[in-house]
Parts: sequence; C-alpha cells; structure tokens
Amino acid sequence: MDSNKKYWKGLEELNKTPEFVELNKNEFAEPIPIEEVLTGGGLTGRTPRRDFLKALGFGVGAVTLAACQPVPVHKSMPYLIKPEEVTPGVPNYYVSTYDGQAILVKTREGRPIKIEGHPNDIIAKGGASAQAQASVLDLYDVNRFQSPLKDGSQTGWAQIDDFVVRELLAIKAGGKKIAIVSSTVTSPSTLGVIADFIKQFPATKHINYDAVSYTGIIQANQNSFGKAVLPHYNFDKADVIVSFAADFLGTWISPEEFTRQYVSNRNSKSLEEKKMSRHIQFEAGLSLTGSNADVRIPIKPSEEGAALIALYNAVSGTTLAGPKLNSPAAQNAIAIAAKELVAAKGKALVVAGANDVATQILVNAINSLLGSYGTTIDLDNPSLQYAGNDADFDALVGDMNAGAVDAVFFLNANPVYDYYNSKAVVSGLKKVRLKVSFASGPDETAAVCNVVAPNHHYLESWGDDNAISGYYTIMQPAINPVYDTRQAEQTLMKWSDNPAKDYYTYVRNNWDTNLLAKGGLSGQKGWEQLLQTAFVKEAPKAAGSYSFSLSLGAVAQTISEHSAKLAAGNDKMELSLYQSPAMRDGKRANNPWLQELPDPVSKVTWDNFAAMSAADMKAKGLQDGDVIKIDNGNGYSISLPVLVQPGQARGTISVAVGYGRTVSGPVGTNVGKNAFPFTSLLNKTIQTNAVVSIAATGDNSPLAQTQTHHSIEGRNSIIKEATFVEYKKNPAAGTGNGEGHKEYKPDLFWQNWREDKPKYDWVMAIDLNACTGCGACVVACSAENNVPIVGKDEVRRRREMHWIRIDRYYSFDDKGDGGVTREHDISRLKEDDLDNVKVVYQPMLCQHCEHAPCETVCPVLATVHSSEGLNHMAYNRCVGTRYCANNCPYKVRRFNWFNYWNDSRFDNYLNNEHTQLVLNPDVVTRFRGVMEKCSMCIQRIQAGKLKAKIEKRPLRDGEIKMACQQTCSANAIIFGNQNDPESEVSKALRSERTYYVLEELNVKPGVGYQTKIRNISETEA
Amino acid sequence: MRSFSLIFKQFSRSVLLVACFAFLGTQAHAQGDAAKGEALFKSKCTACHKVESEVVGPALGKLVTEETDDKYLTKWIQNNQALIAAKNPKAVAIFNQYQQKNMTIFADLSDGDVANILAYIRADWKAKSAAPAPGTATGAPAEEKGPSKILIFSLLGVIVIAFIIILVLNRVIATLERMLVKNQGALLVETAEGEAVEQVDKLAWLKKLARNKKFVFFVLICGTLFVGVWGFIGMWTTNVHQGYQPVQPIKFPHDLHAGAMQIDCQYCHSGAYKSKNASIPSLNVCMNCHKTVKTESPEIHKIYDALGYDPKTQKYDSTKSRPMQWIRIHNLPDLAYFNHSQHVKVGKIKCQTCHGPVQTMKEVYQYSPLTMKWCIQCHKRTAVDYKDNAYYTNLEQVHKLLKDGKTPTAALMGGIECGKCHY
Repeated sequence: MDSNKKYWKGLEELNKTPEFVELNKNEFAEPIPIEEVLTGGGLTGRTPRRDFLKALGFGVGAVTLAACQPVPVHKSMPYLIKPEEVTPGVPNYYVSTYDGQAILVKTREGRPIKIEGHPNDIIAKGGASAQAQASVLDLYDVNRFQSPLKDGSQTGWAQIDDFVVRELLAIKAGGKKIAIVSSTVTSPSTLGVIADFIKQFPATKHINYDAVSYTGIIQANQNSFGKAVLPHYNFDKADVIVSFAADFLGTWISPEEFTRQYVSNRNSKSLEEKKMSRHIQFEAGLSLTGSNADVRIPIKPSEEGAALIALYNAVSGTTLAGPKLNSPAAQNAIAIAAKELVAAKGKALVVAGANDVATQILVNAINSLLGSYGTTIDLDNPSLQYAGNDADFDALVGDMNAGAVDAVFFLNANPVYDYYNSKAVVSGLKKVRLKVSFASGPDETAAVCNVVAPNHHYLESWGDDNAISGYYTIMQPAINPVYDTRQAEQTLMKWSDNPAKDYYTYVRNNWDTNLLAKGGLSGQKGWEQLLQTAFVKEAPKAAGSYSFSLSLGAVAQTISEHSAKLAAGNDKMELSLYQSPAMRDGKRANNPWLQELPDPVSKVTWDNFAAMSAADMKAKGLQDGDVIKIDNGNGYSISLPVLVQPGQARGTISVAVGYGRTVSGPVGTNVGKNAFPFTSLLNKTIQTNAVVSIAATGDNSPLAQTQTHHSIEGRNSIIKEATFVEYKKNPAAGTGNGEGHKEYKPDLFWQNWREDKPKYDWVMAIDLNACTGCGACVVACSAENNVPIVGKDEVRRRREMHWIRIDRYYSFDDKGDGGVTREHDISRLKEDDLDNVKVVYQPMLCQHCEHAPCETVCPVLATVHSSEGLNHMAYNRCVGTRYCANNCPYKVRRFNWFNYWNDSRFDNYLNNEHTQLVLNPDVVTRFRGVMEKCSMCIQRIQAGKLKAKIEKRPLRDGEIKMACQQTCSANAIIFGNQNDPESEVSKALRSERTYYVLEELNVKPGVGYQTKIRNISETEA
Repeated sequence: MRSFSLIFKQFSRSVLLVACFAFLGTQAHAQGDAAKGEALFKSKCTACHKVESEVVGPALGKLVTEETDDKYLTKWIQNNQALIAAKNPKAVAIFNQYQQKNMTIFADLSDGDVANILAYIRADWKAKSAAPAPGTATGAPAEEKGPSKILIFSLLGVIVIAFIIILVLNRVIATLERMLVKNQGALLVETAEGEAVEQVDKLAWLKKLARNKKFVFFVLICGTLFVGVWGFIGMWTTNVHQGYQPVQPIKFPHDLHAGAMQIDCQYCHSGAYKSKNASIPSLNVCMNCHKTVKTESPEIHKIYDALGYDPKTQKYDSTKSRPMQWIRIHNLPDLAYFNHSQHVKVGKIKCQTCHGPVQTMKEVYQYSPLTMKWCIQCHKRTAVDYKDNAYYTNLEQVHKLLKDGKTPTAALMGGIECGKCHY
C-alpha cells in the first residue's frame, strides 16, 4: 500500500525556485568548472618550457629526497611512576554529573575524551543530550581564562584573594548589599558554601537567575497549592498530552527525561501492546516537540490565552469569560483535545511553556480537573532544576542602579548578555564597587567585572547535584585542571574564611553527614561506593493529589489583558522567542560541535534566523535569506535573514535566543544576533513574546543549511508511515510489505549474500516513531569518530562531515487523489497547505548495504564488504575519486576537502594542541582527499569482540553499543547481530513495521527502519 | 682539445693515485700493537672509560681518533695533572669540560704502552664506527646519524656515477679527436702520440675488450639489471625500517634481562596482555629490582636521575624528575590499528614471533618488516587458537571450517578484511 502523502525535504524543492531546478538537474551540488578550464587560462595559458623543466626537475628531486627519508624518530615516554589504575591504551570510566544527570566520563591516559550517559541514571537512563556530549570539548577550549584577571589583566590567585578579601571586609564594614547571582544552583554542597558565605557576610543575598526562566510555573504552584515548586512531570504516565508552546522534547525543563518518558508510550514495545499516547500541540513556531506531535495547531502567542480558556471551559463545562478563539481549526482542535483529555482523566497532562503566572494557574486548574496531580504531575518530589525568580534579579538591578549594592558575584550567570534590560545591568554594575565573575571563559558579564576568578570545568571539579528531589549525584574530577583555574566554591570558601580548607573536604563532609545516609551508605566504604555508582536515591514520597479550588475570574482577566498586549496590529508581527535544542541559552556558544549541529527543524547551522510562514513572506515579498530588520519599537532592533518555516503561525516570527554573543571565544562570537533583549518583564516574570515591526533591509545573507543537499526525487520508499488506527488493524500498514509487495531477489552476483556472513551480521534498526530528531546522536558520533568541524562557509558549500544526519521531511495530506508523491504534485502546493505540515525525522547514516553500489565503482578497492556485513572504508587506500559518493543512493559519504585537523583556515575548531586532546585515539583522523563515512563504530565492535575473547565467552547481545545508540534517550536506535535470532535487533527487524529505505534499488541495506505511526483519527488524517 | 683530454687523463690518474695512497696511509696508521693495547686498556682504563661511550670520563674512541698529536696524548695519560698545571689549553679545556675531575696518573705506563693503548682505541673505534649498526656513536641520537649516512652514500653514489660518465665521455672525445687527427695528417699525430705511447700500451687489453661488442653488450646488460634491481629494492623498501636500531637513552640489555635472567616479557611490558599497547615499563617497574641490584652502575643512575631518586638517602624528589625519552623502534603508521592483547593474550602468539630473539639482543632492533604483506602472510598461515575459548567454540564458523576440512586461520575468520585494522 503506497502512501498518500507527499514529502519534501526543503522549501527550495517545494517552491521550485529556478535555482533549485537548475541545481537539481546537475549531478553535483556545485557546477564543475570545466568551462572555465577550457575557455579560461587553463589550456591556452602558456607554460614556458624552461619553467616546466624546472618544475619537473625540482619535483623529481624533491620526491627522491623525500623518499630517502630515514626512520622518523618517535619518542616514547612512559609514566615515571604509573598510576595503578591506568593501563595505556585502555579507557577508564569515571562517574560524574552533568546538569544534575549522572554520566560516565570516558578517559584515556588521564584525559576525558567522551561523555556517556549513566545506564542507571533516573533522568535519561543512559542517554545524554547534544549539550552533554559537546561539553567535553569545552574542557580543552584554549579560549578559556587561563589565569585570574584583575581589571582585565592577568594576575595570580594570591593577589586576587588578597584584593577581594580586603574589599569584602571594607564592604562589610560599609554595610551595603552583596549579591551572589547564579543560574539555579542545584548542588547541595554549593548551596552550603553559599550559605556559609552569607553567614560570614550577612548582607549577602543569593539570587537564582535563569536566562530562560520558569518563575511562572513556580509561582503559579505557590498560588494554587501553596507549594512554590517546579513539578516533576511524568509524561510516561500520560495517555493524552496537550502542550501549549512547551517544547518539552527540545528545551523545556528536562528534555532528556521527558523524551525518554514520552517515547516510552510511543515506541515499538508500546505499539505492540496496542498502546500509544496522543499528543496535541498548540504553538506559533514549529518546535521539536510540535514536529513530533500527532496534531499540531499553529496559533499566535496572543491566541494562547484564548485557547487555554477555551480548553478550560470545554473541560470544566463552565464559561470563564475571556477572549474568543477566532480560528475554526483551533476551536475544533480544542474541542477534540478537551474530549480526549476528559476521557483520559488521571492519565492526561496539559503543559504550557509560557512563563506567566496567570497562564500557569489556569493550566493548574485544568490539570486539577483532569486528575493529573498525583499521576502525571508530581508536586511532592519536585524538580529542582530551575528555581530562578525573575523579580529578585530585577530588584537587584534596581538596587545596583540606586547605588545600594557594593559587591556582586556572578556564578554561571551572564545577565549582561541574556537579561532583557542589559543596559540597566551594565549601568548598575558601574556603581558596584566589587564585581566578580566566576566565568570559566570570556563572556559579556566577565568583561565588565573588575575581578575574574575563573571556575574549573565540571570535569575538573568536585561537586554534587540534586536535580530532582531525592536524587543526589556526585561529581568527581576526571582530569587535573588544564589551566590555572580554581573552583568557584573553593574561591568563595577562601574569601569567606570557611573552616573547611578545601572544597573536596567540604563535599565529603556534606555527604558523610547529610547525604550518604539517604542511599543507605556510610563511611569511607559508602563514599567509595558512591564514587562508583554516581548517585543515591531516596525512596520517592507518595505523590499527593491536589485539587484546585481558587476562583479564576481574576486570572482570566489577567490573561485577557496580556493577550491583548501581545496581539499585533496589521503592520506588525508577533515575535516568539525560543531556544534551539542545539544552542539552548547560548552559554556554550563557543562550542563548534554545537554550532555545527543543525537545528532539528530548520537544519540551519552557525546562525539564528527569523522563521516566517510562507504566506507572510509572500505578502511581504521576501525570499529565503533576505535580511529583515526586526524592531520592537522600544529601541532594540536586529537584522536577521528570514527563512520560510512551514507550520509557522501566520502573523508571527520565531527567533532563537542563544546567538549573537559579543564576547565569547572565536567560535561563538558574533554568530547570529542576540534576541534576549526582545524579552520583557511583565507581572514579575520574563515574557518571551513581543510585538515587533519588520522591514526588509535589501540585503541577502544565505543561511548555512544542511537541508536541500539531496533532493528526494519523489521516491516514496524513503519515509513510510501509518496512522495508529491503521496500525491496529494491520501492524504492517504503510510499509508496503505484505500483499502486492514485490520481493527483490538476490541477483546474479550476490546469490549467497546471506551465507557470506557466517559469524556476525551487524545491522541496525531505527524506530522512526521513537526518534524525536533532537540530534544528540550527531554530536556523539562526532566525538566518538573524530569527525571534523568545517565551519559556516563550508556547510554552505555542502561539505559538512557528519557521519550521521537527521533528515527532516515535511508532509501534508494529499486530499485523496490516491497518487504517490510525484515531483509535479509538489508544485501544486498552496501556502495554505504549508500551515499544517507533518514532520518525520529520519536518522540517515551509512546503510552498510549488502550490494553496496559504492563498492563496485571504487577503482582502488578502498571500500569493500566484510564478512560481518559491514561496508569497510580504508582511508589510506582511497585516492579520492569520489565515485562512491556519486553512486551512493543515500548520500552518506563525506569527502575531506581539507586537512581539517591541521589547516590554519579551520583554526577556530579543532586545530590546536589542546583541543586535539579530545580525539579518540582508537580512530584515525582522516587526511585531505579521502572519503569517509559511518564505520558502524567498528572500533567499538572490535573492542567488544576482543573483550569477549579475552574473557573466553561468547559475545553478548547489547554488549556493543554504537555511539549514536548509546546517547539516544529515546532508544530509537538498536544495533546488533542479525545472525542471532534472539538479539534485540533481530526482534526489532522482525517487526511488521520494518522497511528498508529505497528498497527497490535492491542494495539490501543493513539498516532497517520502522514506520512512523501517527495517533490521528481518520477524519484528522 | 687534444690537450684537454690529456690533462684530464693525467688529472684523473693522479686523483686515483692519491686516493690509493691515502687509503694505504690510513691502513698503516691503524697498524700497531693493538692486542697489547687492548690488555692494557682493559686493566687500566675501563674503570672510567669506554671506547664508544661516556662513562665517568669521556668516550675515548672519537676523542683519541680525532686527536692526532700523540705526544700530547702520551703526556696527558702519563701525567694529566702536570699538563693542566702547565696550562696546556687543550688539557685545561677537557678538564673543565668534565667538571674538573682529576684523572688518575699513570706514570707506570711507558711511551710504548701508551702507543699500544692508543692503537687499540683507534682500531676498536674504527671497527665500531664502521659497523653498520649504530651504537658506536658517543650517545649521539639516531636521528642525527640516519639522514647523514644515507645522504652521504647517495651523494657518493652520484659522484661515482658522474665520474664514470665523465670517463666514458672522455673516451668518446679521445676517439673523436683521434679520428679528426687522422683526417688532418700524420705529422701532428707523431708528435702528440710520442709522449703517451707507453701509457696507452698498458691499457691495451682494456681497449681490446672495449672493442669487443659482445663483451660491452654483456656488461651493459649486467649493469642495467643491477641498477634496476637495486632501484626496485630501494623503492620497495622505502619506509620499511627492518633492522632499525636506534640508540636508547639507557643501554638496556634485553639479552641480560630476558635472556640470562629469564624475566618474563610481560613483567615489564604488562600492557601486552590487556591493552593495545604493550607499553614501555614505567620506571617504578625498574625500581622493583634496581633499588638494590647494580645500584652503582652509571646506566642505573640514569633511572635514578629521571626519577629524582637519591640512592644514598633512598628518597624520591619529584621536583627533580624528568621524563625518560625512549626512542620508539616499532612504528606502525596511525592508519593501522594493532592490538597486542588480541595477539598475545587471545592468539597466544609469542613475543618473539614478531619481535625476534629479543632475549639475545644487546640492543633491540626492529626484527620484522612490519609491512602489510608481512601481517597478511601471518594471518593467512596462523590458525586461530579456538580451543578452550568459549568465544570461538560457540562460533558456527569455526565448526563449519573444520567440517570442510579447513584450518580456521585468522584470514578465513575475516582477519584480512580492510576494516579489521584500518579504522
């Protein structure tokens, strides 16, 4: 059964710009300069005979001398006294904590080279986000502060200590305020150190300041239930999820955890039990979460309040006064959502992304009606990940400007960059006597501080974390400090004359007296066990059910007023700010792995942009890449290139925050524009929506997108999907398997292709219904396989090197003409169709085809098949003809245009002695002029087999994990041996949902995909 | 013209003559009663000196060979302190170079004895420095020696070839000249030939041979073949460093440790069992024995120095420690992955299979070529040791191969596929 859907991969394909049509005809993305060679100086230019002979003579001579090279002398320096636990060549793993999540740090010869999720971690259960994967690179960032600074010049710790302590004592005597401004501190020991500091300097106030704040939720819970907490959500217990602009799979509160929970109701296992959650999303810009929703309704930010009130009315059966929802589609969707939510009472969940107290109170009311408290929402074991209070910091800025503050300490906070009113922060700081930043690398706030006391990287630090109530994790250093930095806690202890002399002792004491017992541990033994297990966990409290009993009249009134403010006039647009899952709030802007990770939805790298709907762009006469000036009418404007974003609500633009850092390392500085100043403080919470006017500047700045690299040519065997209703009737729905399915016979040359693999047949299964498209696998693969970073210009030239990419396909309903996707259908699309798109993400990597087309065209046999079903690539044999890339139907082969590791043009990325320490020593770095591609982490396969051989036992299923598989919180990727019928991957591939991409080519791919299932009713589909 | 070829002939002859004399002269210089000298050297000098390397005093081989003033040397050996007192500049220089340590006075040695010793040192040094393997240089690192040697040989080769070409061309010129002269008239010939008659006659047999076309053809064929084979081998073995034997910072005798003392290889190279690197032992492994064994040896003191260890107080001072810079002998390129534990622990391959008879090597050299051909040959020949290893016994493939009457070699088990080593 063929799909009724049309897919397209990017809007060039859809809109058929002449440029795209032209490019599409060509075999190569860029024209080959044959003409130039033939007509230009190439052939007619005269090379004088003597010059030729000189060059020839020199060449021959040079080659002769080079060949005479003697044995190159390699020094080999053993340890003088080898640490007992280190064996050169064997990795050691240490537990630690990243952002409250237990992780494993892989070290080789004492240097961390890779972050891996901790399999027992309760948050992601072995997964790790792209940010966590990339954090190891920051450790070796040469642009970190390499020593403390005073007034911008380097100095020593003794001088800094001396100066700050003298100042602090003077300030204490003066009696003015002291503030410690930090991103939410979740570490119990850090909180202890700060408390001790406050004891010493009682005028001190600790202010949690989050760049992206959740104050609204916390205060709403205080208001509704008397508990000022960020609840712990259980998406796994929710059968129906309705989200209002909460990007909980991408960036909202705890995305890794929510991804794991969310997918557990939608993956193969759940589907086999005929269970699948239903997810309805209302939002303006197409977020990662929205793109995964079963039903997504684009609404303007100003309509959000109306939609929520309508939902409340529909759920409760009352009539709360409020603005009307105008769009019939939204009305219809609200009615359906309400019906389903009520039907799933106790297993329903409504979340809203708005950082607005009134909105969140209304959400609480709805959740209370649905019986969510105690099931899908847990207020008794709250999440501690965000505790920021927007009003607190605003009050501090007021105090600073009033001259009432004498000292400010910034710990992992950068308000000069990410506060809505950074001018007030800067002017306030000018009146502050002592300004200390603990930033580990250059940032905007450190630049205006008179003392910079650089903090350790977390892999150099002792510490602990308590991200979720009752879950305590330990952080231990995996390397000695790379630079002359000192842990911020240690510094604070020193300045406050803490009785514990070093922070390790402090952490240790804190655990001995307070925390170890929570996990039933004690003493030295307990501590040692903790350092191996990473965490202790208290038995969670019983989640109570809370009922909402307040009057909502005033709340509805506030929401109405707020919505009215957000509603834009005819000539204006509603701006919606969001975090990109790759860049988040911009703290890691100097990390090239994250900059080059494409935004999951737009596939834009190295930039932020203004996303607009096709209708708006047409109305304004804009093309992709045209630069527009966005002005909030309040003195702030930025110029950004626009991009058509299917699914974008009309009348809105979405811009990612986290870009436009002006003080950062060379990688992050001036990439994109800063959108934080568009936020505003309303009702004591930071609002991320604004009304703006836009105007074309006339410039055009092409974005570095990884999307329309390869047109799909209307082939309908790439993505296969079905609705949940169809799936329940026939699990093979949508795959095209079964009746009428054409069996492709092994052909003449490869008759015994299955028998050729007597030992192992390494294959992979990817569940498209589990993959959310977040991109963590891309960064994990880069870290594991030494994949180089190429930079914005090279991505524009379509030379990115990622071995795995996430293809994102949009689709819309074909309204029943029964035809399969054809090129000419796409051109018939109207702007209306673009408002309601569906999205499929497809991780695409080397498919390790049995009949690999790349292998047959290689003139030097550099890529050949192995007896274990893998397609090997011998780099040192490759001569760079690129025939293989031309012949690869999946376009997964990457060509090294440069020696990225050793070329000054790529200086910003991985080309210095420190960042090269992050390379995986078991994988060679590729040189210029050779092809590379996914090797199926062959170093891991070989290491796994060797371990089994040494231990004299058969290889266990699941023992070898691919880097992409390991980091996936959704467990969308399964790798294993297909020769073992009991292996997980065999079971997954036997699933009726399995299909192979471009099966009709009969290349027999080794990677099977499982169909995307959408939980939509027949009428909606 | 005529005169040019004559001058050249004479010049080349004189060059050859001088070269012969020079060669004979050096031979003569090396003569002397070296045997007596050796006995004396061993009894009197070896406490502080070695010919090839520095011990307490300087390495003598190079020093003595380069110093041609035997009178000075005799005086120095018989009473160095008198020379220093007399402020002989050479003596003072070397005295200062060796931290003003006094050398023992050997007044009992006669001039003849000293001459014998010097003869021995020179002969020994000559023999050692002429040996192909390094190890005779006075601690000079191998990287300085390697290129110069090859360069010098190749330059010499070029000069020799150029010389031969010039000779041949000269002959051609001479022939042409003779023909010219023949055409011009006999008178001139008579006067010119007069001087050269005698010499030409001596080489008559050569001329005769040169006129024999068959012989010339044979020589040419041989020459072409020789140059071809030589060139082919040279190119084939480019970057193959079989026999590479760099001078290590510590003269660690494997023959003593692994041979005479029978210490197991893995005692020091403990990584071989569990890691891809066999690993050079860290110095604390050396100290397990050498804290007490041979503590007086200057080589062992190098370990102490690197560790910052004071044998008198038996204390370590980490501030004085410095890394030990061994020179890697077996250099696989980065693009090839090799894992010791796979071969040693799983494959139960003896170290000697690849590293050669290390237990007899005074200084280790690269025994195997380490080429891919060499790897693959072994993989093709070596049967996988599948017995007693549940990993293999549960692999169907082993059973299938055995059923088919084949030996399950590494190659048949997939051990020659590209991706097994190149990733």
